[in-house]
Amino acid sequence: MATTAPRRRRRQSKLQQAVDIPLDWLEERSGLVGATKYFLFRKVPRDSSWWHTLGSATLTAFLVQAGTGLILAFYYKPDPDKAYESIQHITNDLTLGWLVRGMHRWGASVFIILMFFHMARVFLFGAYKYPRELNWIVGVLILVTGMLEGFTGYLLPWDQTSYWATVVGININASAPFLGPFIAQFLRGGAEIGTDTLSRFYALHMLAVPGALFGLIGLHLYLVIRLGVSSPPWSSEGAGRDRAEVKPTGRAGLTRGRRV
Amino acid sequence: MSSAQDERRAGFERYKEDVENEGKPFFPYAMFHDTVMSLVVVSVIVGLACVWYFTADGTEPGLIGPHYVEEADPGTTSFIPRPDWYFYFLFYLLRIFKWPESVVLGTVGVPTILMILMFALPFLDRSRERRLLRRPVAVVAAVLTAVSMGVLTYKGATARESLGSEAVAAVDAWSSQQGGFDETQRSGAEVFAQVGCLQCHIYLGSGSANVGAPELSDYGSTTQRTIEQTAAYIRNPAEFGNTVMPPFPGLEDAGVLDDVAQFLHASSGATGDG
Repeated sequence: MATTAPRRRRRQSKLQQAVDIPLDWLEERSGLVGATKYFLFRKVPRDSSWWHTLGSATLTAFLVQAGTGLILAFYYKPDPDKAYESIQHITNDLTLGWLVRGMHRWGASVFIILMFFHMARVFLFGAYKYPRELNWIVGVLILVTGMLEGFTGYLLPWDQTSYWATVVGININASAPFLGPFIAQFLRGGAEIGTDTLSRFYALHMLAVPGALFGLIGLHLYLVIRLGVSSPPWSSEGAGRDRAEVKPTGRAGLTRGRRV
Repeated sequence: MSSAQDERRAGFERYKEDVENEGKPFFPYAMFHDTVMSLVVVSVIVGLACVWYFTADGTEPGLIGPHYVEEADPGTTSFIPRPDWYFYFLFYLLRIFKWPESVVLGTVGVPTILMILMFALPFLDRSRERRLLRRPVAVVAAVLTAVSMGVLTYKGATARESLGSEAVAAVDAWSSQQGGFDETQRSGAEVFAQVGCLQCHIYLGSGSANVGAPELSDYGSTTQRTIEQTAAYIRNPAEFGNTVMPPFPGLEDAGVLDDVAQFLHASSGATGDG
């Protein structure tokens, strides 16, 4: 009996080492462990609440889009002769293909709605004010890029709805002065919407636009962590609230004021 | 320097102090809320996907739309162009502006101004005040934005355009109202109804003023162009400085371009007794 306790202790310290050594190795070479600790255990205002979950909810919707989009790309064929068929194949034949496509399709709407809700929350809280101006601008860029992702993704099923919506969309682009016709020409990849348009939209939807979104979201999160989130404006214990006035007691000017 | 800037800085210093002294750690408190909310979001997405899949059947719409509609067919444009719902407001905005002078306001002007306002917001509103009751301008702007976006989205969602197939059925009525078409004009009218002209133009009450395109009911009696010029215009409007209307080179290939021009020149408004 007397020998089991030290043995257990020795086993525990070996286990401890098995966790610590790789973590220390990683920390020494990257600082990532410290960064993760900082991220998790940083303080947030004590009155932060459900209102503050809209941003992370939007991020979740985006990650759902990224995950389901990747799976869809395994089976989707960006070719006018095959696109429609591959969409039918995904929806009707593949195991849970309908779920992945359905989540991607409806997740897009949820993502857009959540961006607007999050934006409304930030607006009503006045959370875009100093020193968070830049993060508001990054957020607007994410909104615009996100809607661009919606526009380029809409064509991919290559059905009548998506095709004609894109025709109108590109024509609207073309009506812009100066750059408009060039943008339209670039999007179409030719005089009419066809093979080149579809592969272009696919490339934009799969690489350029989501790449930009990942970068912008990373910057957005960095700024959130750096600057912190703001308390609800109605909170009486909000972080950064104005201090109660300092009233002098006793003989004015001779003693220190007391906070009341 | 400026006292407003000093005040802002002091305010943020107080914020950091308060968070440090009174705040709670992100993990587990805020993260708990975030996780619950994210689960709700994923459940809603899965729920929508299920309702969509199990109530619809292929091209048959269910509660929230079909799995897909017919395959894209650039040949027959008798289809209502309809963007995804979050572009409805923009879609409807285009109908408010009239062709051709102010349509650019709808397609580019208003959206550009809105974008500039969104980007510039933190520089336009520089006060430190965050309480809603003391930000009347911001509240009014928010309400106006929300209401107008909602109304435009609703209008865009419920806007009805006539289908090409319905318009073809109207060719007889057009003919009697325009004093009778000959065979060429009649053929042109049918092509006109089918290839999507009515998506942007109104003709004797059919169609819609999408992107603010002009009404064509009395084109023949008001235009300065010859039939050949009209045909050339339809083939490639960009040659005439119109970059909004799409080119229709397919009509010439199909040998019906001249018919459409003939039909338009036979249109002088509702002169018949129709």
